[in-house]
Amino acid sequence: MLAFLAVVAAISLPLEAVERTISFNRDIRPILSDTCFFCHGPDQNTRMANLRLDVREQALAKTRSGAIPIVPGKPEASAIIQRIFATDHRAMPPKYAQKELTPGQKEKFRKWVEEGAEYEPHWAYVPVQRPAVPPVADRRWIRNPIDAFIQARLARENLKPSPEADKRTLLRRVSLDLTGLPPSPQEMQAFLADSSPDAYEKVVDRLLASPRYAEKQAVHWLDAVRYADTCGFHGDNPYPAWPYRDYVLRAFRENKPFDLFTKEQLAGDLLPNASLESRIASAYNRLNRTSAEGGIQPKEYLAKYAADRVRTTSTVWLGTTIGCAECHDHKFDPLTMRDFYSMKAFFADIKETGLVPDRGPEAWGTQLELPDETQRRKRAELEIALQRARARLAEAAEKLAARRSGWERNLLARYQAGEFDWKPQRPQSAKSAQGATLTIYNDERIDSAYDFRGSIVPARKPGNGLVVATGKAPDNDTYTVVWKPGPGAWTAIGIEVVMDESLPGVRMARGADRFVLTGVELESGGAPVAFSLATANSLFPLPDLAPALVLDHDPNTGWGLAFHGEDRNPFLALRLAQRLHTTAETALTIRLRHDSEYRRATLGRFRFWMSQAEYSWPGSAINGASDPLAPHTGVPTNVVAALRKPAAERQPADQEAIENFFHWSQPELTEHQAEISRLEAQLGLLEASIPRVVVTEATEPAVTRILPRGNFMDDSGEIVEPAIPQIFGKLHVNGRASRLHLAEWLTSRENPLTARVFVNRLWKQFFGVGLSKVLDDLGSQGEWPVHAELLDWLAAEFMQPSSSQAHAWDVKHVVRTIVTSHTYRQSSLSNPALEAKDPENRLLARQSRYRVDAELVRDIALAVSGLLTEKFGGPSVRPPQPEGYLAALNFPKREWSASRGEDLYRRGLYTRWQRTFLHPSLAAFDAPSREECTVSRVLSNTPLQALVLLNDPVFVEAARALAQHALRDGGRRFATRLSWAFARVLNREPRPEERKVLEGLYRKSLSKFRRDPQAARQLLSLGEAPVPPGVNTMDLAAMTTVTRALLNLHETITRN
Amino acid sequence: MDRSLIEATPADAGMHRRAFLERTAGGLGLIALNTLLNPKLLASPARGVVHPLHFPQKAKRVIFLYQAGGPSHLETFDYKPKLAEMDGKPMPESLTKGQQLAQLQGRPLICFGPQFPFRQWGSSGQQICELFPHMGSIADEVCIIRSMWTEQINHDPAHTLMNTGSIIAGRPSMGSWLLYGLGAETEDLPGFVVLVSTGRGGQNQPIAARQWSAGMLPSRFQGVKLNSIGDPVLYIRNPEGISRELQKDSVEAINSLNRTAHRTLQDPEILTRISQYEMAFRMQASVPGLMDMSKEPAQVLERYGAKPGDGSFASNCLLARRLAERGVRFIQLYHRDWDHHAGIRENMPLKAQEVDRPTAALIQDLKDRGMLNETLVVWGGEFGRTPMSQGGNGRDHHIKGFSFLLAGGGVKPGISYGATDDLGYAAVENPVSVHDFHATMLYLLGIDHKRLTVKHQGLDIRLTGVSGQVIHEILA
Repeated sequence: MLAFLAVVAAISLPLEAVERTISFNRDIRPILSDTCFFCHGPDQNTRMANLRLDVREQALAKTRSGAIPIVPGKPEASAIIQRIFATDHRAMPPKYAQKELTPGQKEKFRKWVEEGAEYEPHWAYVPVQRPAVPPVADRRWIRNPIDAFIQARLARENLKPSPEADKRTLLRRVSLDLTGLPPSPQEMQAFLADSSPDAYEKVVDRLLASPRYAEKQAVHWLDAVRYADTCGFHGDNPYPAWPYRDYVLRAFRENKPFDLFTKEQLAGDLLPNASLESRIASAYNRLNRTSAEGGIQPKEYLAKYAADRVRTTSTVWLGTTIGCAECHDHKFDPLTMRDFYSMKAFFADIKETGLVPDRGPEAWGTQLELPDETQRRKRAELEIALQRARARLAEAAEKLAARRSGWERNLLARYQAGEFDWKPQRPQSAKSAQGATLTIYNDERIDSAYDFRGSIVPARKPGNGLVVATGKAPDNDTYTVVWKPGPGAWTAIGIEVVMDESLPGVRMARGADRFVLTGVELESGGAPVAFSLATANSLFPLPDLAPALVLDHDPNTGWGLAFHGEDRNPFLALRLAQRLHTTAETALTIRLRHDSEYRRATLGRFRFWMSQAEYSWPGSAINGASDPLAPHTGVPTNVVAALRKPAAERQPADQEAIENFFHWSQPELTEHQAEISRLEAQLGLLEASIPRVVVTEATEPAVTRILPRGNFMDDSGEIVEPAIPQIFGKLHVNGRASRLHLAEWLTSRENPLTARVFVNRLWKQFFGVGLSKVLDDLGSQGEWPVHAELLDWLAAEFMQPSSSQAHAWDVKHVVRTIVTSHTYRQSSLSNPALEAKDPENRLLARQSRYRVDAELVRDIALAVSGLLTEKFGGPSVRPPQPEGYLAALNFPKREWSASRGEDLYRRGLYTRWQRTFLHPSLAAFDAPSREECTVSRVLSNTPLQALVLLNDPVFVEAARALAQHALRDGGRRFATRLSWAFARVLNREPRPEERKVLEGLYRKSLSKFRRDPQAARQLLSLGEAPVPPGVNTMDLAAMTTVTRALLNLHETITRN
Repeated sequence: MDRSLIEATPADAGMHRRAFLERTAGGLGLIALNTLLNPKLLASPARGVVHPLHFPQKAKRVIFLYQAGGPSHLETFDYKPKLAEMDGKPMPESLTKGQQLAQLQGRPLICFGPQFPFRQWGSSGQQICELFPHMGSIADEVCIIRSMWTEQINHDPAHTLMNTGSIIAGRPSMGSWLLYGLGAETEDLPGFVVLVSTGRGGQNQPIAARQWSAGMLPSRFQGVKLNSIGDPVLYIRNPEGISRELQKDSVEAINSLNRTAHRTLQDPEILTRISQYEMAFRMQASVPGLMDMSKEPAQVLERYGAKPGDGSFASNCLLARRLAERGVRFIQLYHRDWDHHAGIRENMPLKAQEVDRPTAALIQDLKDRGMLNETLVVWGGEFGRTPMSQGGNGRDHHIKGFSFLLAGGGVKPGISYGATDDLGYAAVENPVSVHDFHATMLYLLGIDHKRLTVKHQGLDIRLTGVSGQVIHEILA
């Protein structure tokens, strides 16, 4: 371990050697902080020997032992110098601290004391002053002040800037950096042909105006605010957040001033006359992980959520690790527990619960509905229509009132006599239209495992008419089942969905996170039989999956469930329009259609029932699976319970249950019931299509106490009011400070950090590393910026631009300034001398090369293959992912169901961000789970990345689509097709040796596919993008292996 | 310099740089074609940052049999006759007052006696519940810690603490720490492998991928999950229509073009990319070989109770041995379904059926092959369960006391360490925290837990946080 530190020290020495005099902030504070502050710093609880070295007055004062730690100008008389040079037991830092000072560091200390031991306030805590732009003698490579700062330093180091990169490299670089997509060959041609002096600036303006620019910026912001589409704890269920993501997209597209952007997110709900836009922005405060686990203590989780908000806000805007002060005063920075809890108090007015329900009417707390005009109008229309239909039902029911008491009197007795019971049906044949295997279990025994009162019960019993789907699991399927019910006069068909542990889709479907039955057709002796009413028994119906949608003849809608959570099986009762008379020989054919956009939302196990009663409510046997032979009665359980009570004891709910069932049961009212359920279903579909987003709702602020050692159960701590950390001063506010006050302070000139933190992060986007390397900590343990004055100049320019074209807090202005600098436009080529002097390229005598971010790896492949859907915003999408990837999730059990059509080819940023199981291709390329705020992604290089690029079907499909274009547009010869593909993927011509290698691959592939044409067809069948008719299969397959190689190149996923 | 260094920590940077130099010294990248077919030509696998080791290494690897959901210590390893006597009586308030509970918060607290008998096993006479006769039969090989405690009472945070030493998401898991510290001993397989099996009792609490994440370490240190359905490793299978030979041709072409780029740019990151494609290609051959248990003798399958391909805990135990043989550093088997809020009497026998035989078989098999002394086997979950009844036949989450079982890898066999009070409520004798366990595990692997650190947000992050003591009393 020590050996490595030595290596690192050796690397950094050349940079430091040049600076002759000692600077406290640059040279001493980092060492003091890392090596001494833990025991001699801000945290009084761990301070040793009562010695504090972070405050000069105390470091110069005599200690209890009589020693003086620092005597300015006299290193030999200074106790700390004696101790750090000591070799005996008095040596500092002590051995147990696992810290060691290098001889160079010790010497710096000595020299600093000798020079007077001057302290400086921590650089990042000093208000931003715009530094003067340094003079540079050689002005050839100066395009703007950035270059002056960089080159002045290079000159001191005897280094020269690199020349500008060639035009191809430059356009590819700036396109990837600003939009995340490589330039098209046409864009490249236009740029190469444009010899005007501002050709590059014109390109920059074009790219900044593109919606793709906003998408690229959003990736970074969404990491920071830990935006995701699922709640992160326990069941990790999806919650409505994407409209916030679209707010971020719009903000970057419209170049919203960053101060307003800040205020809207932290306090959009508190702004005077808060607009819809700013209320959506306030979702920021609700993006933390939440739990719906039954056994949690709300208080504990409220403490977790609040701490998360403090950590995120202080990292994103302040680059400060206040989160460390949740349990103790900060070890390195002058931040106390009081500061942490005072920050927390700003958020104490957010209305929330510790257990955040993930289903049902209370799910996810406060939300904002975002209907468009059409939806608003249609909703009003449907609500009126529904009201009228209910009135008609009431009116018609009124006429039957006389019948009611007689009906009610006999009901219980008829129920007990089994008059309403459903009769199980014994199928004779069952066929899948798409190749699934349907097996009938009548008397045959079958293994099952079902959830009963919280435990899984295994059983092996006769199926009693059970149909089981196994084998191939097609995305959509139609099951055709035939049986003979025997002689009778039937009124209803029942479909029981049999739950089983073996079914990955919410224990009911063969995939997906729901089942959806989009249509049911019945024939008797070849003649169609009509239904009049569809009713189901679930306690958790989904408005857009209502039973009536089975009968609406729309293949896109149907009855379904995404969560059942009951001990009985879901049961759909379909009332027949007329009694169906059958003889012993009558065969019934039923077709169950699964045409939903959700793939594999197909039933896994089901059973049919029929009734001859006047009416039968959906079967309500407790767990039909537990005993397949148990009767399914046809009266709702709550009605039976109500009827069993003496009339005097019935509650209003009992009366209502009986009344509703009466209405439901009367044939004269069926038509009205059907109309109501049809309208309700339409309204449900509409409601589900209206975007919703969790937002902040302010309420009476909760009391905020300092929690001793961060312990949520300890109420003994002092009560604190909202306040900014003490070292930054005080807010001048009458009364309690609000989130809006916090946001205003964050973007005020008094706050030294926000602008520095943000431009430092921006810088990383364009050079691969920040001016100060530790993006999430500009505090004592962070890095003294390599180009500190440049950082301050950029921060000043961000807050108050020197250009009249720009506005205050203008993000695009800073980005434009950076990418039009010579420093940005330099070549990335290095040489051994430069490499030796500045191996990490911190001085920026050249540009850097680094891999693009995870989303962009996908975006590049889709863009160059022509598959990319350039749609801006909208609900998150689900690109395909391997089967079983979500198997370790539960509540509910579920499978990923890939999106359809153009949503298969959206940019990576639109992927549904599943926090506990992020899409594996994104995760492989270091996309963060967004469980916590991330402002700096790690970049790694792993075999799993190779497997993704080689074998993930999305990349194979992209290679095939790319090959199709090369064949179509690249001429007739391999050589010209290869040139075409290179221009598209890499924006350049292939080199001769590259041609040779790829031509070799092409020939080998061609001969293999000619010998095995089936393999060629298999390769081309991957993915859903169509293969054009008439294409030569062998050619296309062989070319696909070539384009696949191109998509796998290091260069393809590298920004240079 | 390797590009990934920019983001890596200094220590990591050093490691990577040296690993890179070692490999390039072996001529990697220039002999690609040969190494694709013959991995033996590669230089030795990458070393970790702990070099030389801080302590003599007792264990080379860890197999962690993670019983997820929180197994009841009172029906496994913690014999409490006094609790049986108190069955049905109120729990003494002196024990429970002011303590955190999960679902029992605010409910009457009634003692719930052990539901299954215990007996003494082997010459060590260790007390183990009779539901676990196979594990009982190897009582002389194992060390039982009866005084574990943790800080987190809900599954997700408790898993996160057990795996990463912190409840804040984004810290490296223990397997990642070991891989980072020690490197791997395999070039064909990931150094940190995770397997998940599902119990038949239905208490299958979800487990997030965070539990095997590399956190702020580069993702090459993350755990790779081997799946029993679909592809064993994600994207390990060639696309349909691409034969093994064509895949080789393609990888060679890709690497050849990447080498061309490297000649111009001299960017070492390109060499890393080349070597990762080589490893990916080798993994494509080695993973199916690893998963193919058809050559395992029938008596071995029988001993574990494994049916290859069924994804059971038993099959995963056998896979764990095969992974250990192939040099994987950290092998973590999650077996879910221990969350017995209800149905202890019905479900404990089911769980015992699933884990008893394979756990014992794995330990015995490792011993027979001479691998137990260099393999640390750990059996335990994220917390224990209350001595109080929940709903008359269940136990709630419990953090004050639970049990762990350790075997091999430098741990003293045939002993018990620590104890809970008479009612199995709180660890009172030699309490062992999660961080103490981590410190001890790292020690056995030759690492000082205080010296394996990563800089993050200004802190020297450790697996053990700011605490953790090596439990020297259990070391052989």
